[in-house]
Amino acid sequence: MGSLAEFCPFCNTADFRTHVDASCRYSEEFTNIYYDCMDKKRRNLMRLYLDKATLVWNGNAVSGQAALGDFFESLPSSEFSIQTLDCQPVHEQATQGQTTLLVVTAGQVKFDGQKQRYFNQNFLLTAQASPTSDQPVWKIASDCFRFQDWSS
Amino acid sequence: PFCGGKLILNGYSWLPNHDDRVGGQKVRNRKGRGPFRAPMYSDQGPRPRHRGSQRGGGGPGPRARFDDEDGDVNLSFILPHVFSPASNPYGRPNRRGDDRFDRGRRGGGGGGHRGRGNNKGGDGGGGGRKNWFKMSVPYGKKYDKDWLITALQNICSMPFTPVHVKGNRAEFFIDDSTTANALFKVSRKITDKEGYKQCMAKRFDGSQQALDLNNIRIDPDLVSQNIDVTLNRKNSMRAVIKIIEENIPELVCLNLSNNKLFRLDDLSELVNKVPNLKTLNLSHNELKTERELDRIKGLKLVELWLERNPLCDYFKDQASYISEVRERFPRLLKLDGQDLPPPIVFDVEVTPAALPPCKPSYFCSEEIKTPIVGFLQQYYSVYDSGDRQPLLDAYHDGATFSLSMPFTMQNPSRCSLGDYHKDSRNLKKLKDPTTRFRLLKHTRLNVVAFLSELPKTQHDTASLIVDVNTFTVSKSRDSVRAFCRVFVTVPAGGTSLCIVNDELFVRNATTEEIRRAFVAPAPTPSSSPVPTLSAPQQEMLSAFSLKSGMNLEWSQKCLQDNEWDFNRAGQVFTDLKVNNSLFYSVNIPRFKSSS
Repeated sequence: MGSLAEFCPFCNTADFRTHVDASCRYSEEFTNIYYDCMDKKRRNLMRLYLDKATLVWNGNAVSGQAALGDFFESLPSSEFSIQTLDCQPVHEQATQGQTTLLVVTAGQVKFDGQKQRYFNQNFLLTAQASPTSDQPVWKIASDCFRFQDWSS
Repeated sequence: PFCGGKLILNGYSWLPNHDDRVGGQKVRNRKGRGPFRAPMYSDQGPRPRHRGSQRGGGGPGPRARFDDEDGDVNLSFILPHVFSPASNPYGRPNRRGDDRFDRGRRGGGGGGHRGRGNNKGGDGGGGGRKNWFKMSVPYGKKYDKDWLITALQNICSMPFTPVHVKGNRAEFFIDDSTTANALFKVSRKITDKEGYKQCMAKRFDGSQQALDLNNIRIDPDLVSQNIDVTLNRKNSMRAVIKIIEENIPELVCLNLSNNKLFRLDDLSELVNKVPNLKTLNLSHNELKTERELDRIKGLKLVELWLERNPLCDYFKDQASYISEVRERFPRLLKLDGQDLPPPIVFDVEVTPAALPPCKPSYFCSEEIKTPIVGFLQQYYSVYDSGDRQPLLDAYHDGATFSLSMPFTMQNPSRCSLGDYHKDSRNLKKLKDPTTRFRLLKHTRLNVVAFLSELPKTQHDTASLIVDVNTFTVSKSRDSVRAFCRVFVTVPAGGTSLCIVNDELFVRNATTEEIRRAFVAPAPTPSSSPVPTLSAPQQEMLSAFSLKSGMNLEWSQKCLQDNEWDFNRAGQVFTDLKVNNSLFYSVNIPRFKSSS
């Protein structure tokens, strides 16, 4: 827990500002891609997750890409509408230096065969080196989803 | 003390001189060539269509009813005429608007319906002239006056002060064209549904799950109560569908024949709200083209009646008719009472999968449960205490905080989440990078300073839901909110946690949530006394801080947690450095805040 203030983007204002601006853009792009995939290309959704990612969906825990793939297949088709979005860069102290983004969304979703419901969701995205490209890619490390009326 | 039906607003204003017609009105020809659509003008426009008969010549006629009995014209508003300023509601008006039904094209044509152009005469004109607009509600007298005005004020986008509310038609005056327009927009938007419901209940056959709304308009029950159900009007149809959705969503058969339906746009809601509908009777209506069926093609109809609609005449033979209909309803087995050869379908339709059951807390592992629960209880007891400064201990130096709320079209000052509104950081709506940056509170001092400004709250930790989530139920007399909060934490010595990121999403609680709030009693908060350090302890503290590189606060925590055993604390510290940090979301649905 020593301080690396001079390198820490959280303490250096100019870097922090850049960090925050970039986070906002990334989170917007991410939500567009994620929910588009969820609604229209469900089979591809699991590729957005790290292999050791965890999903907690209304209290149901799923982890690992294979299980995630099965889980998303098992859900009926969806129509998401995102109404609120917020994000924060995650302090490096929590991530051991791995660039991480906290993305928080809220809105409504209609699953086929169900009535429309409000939901809250949050993600931790983490930047990973990509085997196929020079640029790092964002991957979902954790995903937490709940209906606002989950208990009814 | 009122009957069912729709509130219809008519507005009339009085013209200053003889030529009181201000332009033609684009109305639908009686033969029906398309629904009526007229643009809104603030101070000019066609007069209301006269009910039934046409009147020739000038001279006052009885005020036209706003609605149209034979369903040809689907007016949803009436445009005001300008009142003569000399004739205001406090005196007798000197002229009534002419109720001549104008079929000509707007602004021209024969018959003397010439547009007067911009009739803004009094508006902003010289010397204190005022335009008065007279609003009236057919059968308005049967409504309780206060209820009526309140209902209008609740739904009208602008505040208004009605002047001189009186009469059979609950007439009142408005002195401003913009307000008058705002009021017009709410015409037909208020519907009292009790009368509808009773009538529909009588026409519902539970054994068949069938609802018969054939020629509903002349239903004696409705007529006797002056309830106007005109299904070719959007608001009537919507009200009916809502009643079906709320009371008999399992409906299988629906008869809408003889209702002068000329389009099916308003029926499209049936697809989602009445998914079991299998038999639909649309016969004896005014549907012009089979394309109207596209609006409802999501229905899995097995039987359909369409005969005696104009569209039926446009097919060259029965086969093409059947084919077009089947294109929308592939499963159809009976059309206009005739059996059709069963279609060959593809077995792609699967009953939609069920959702996994929703469960409460998922803690990941038992051992996390206690420290998290303890941490949250401690956090909220400070948060609720009236002094949030001690939260400084819970936050990392570089912590960030932001809050968001559901987007609302409501005026923020009238919104019950008003206290939170100005700091809401919703990136979907907020695009300016500087504002986005400003709304992210950074460094623990700023975070806690901001939190201290938020309304006082009372949380009651009853049960926790961890996804890692926590569910608390709060107890308070004030307005109930619901929220979802995300903490990213790192270990902070022993089993304590230190917050590095904090994001709060706040919304209003639903009535169900409010009802369920505060079921369990609150735990009594425990107070932890602040220990004073002895001299040797202080020395150990500085040494430990130097060696570990942690600040004094954390060093002290670490030492305290390890009972001031320097070496042990050092070992724990080293171990903690390699531990993963803990991430969990806090999903606390209810808290009360005083505001």
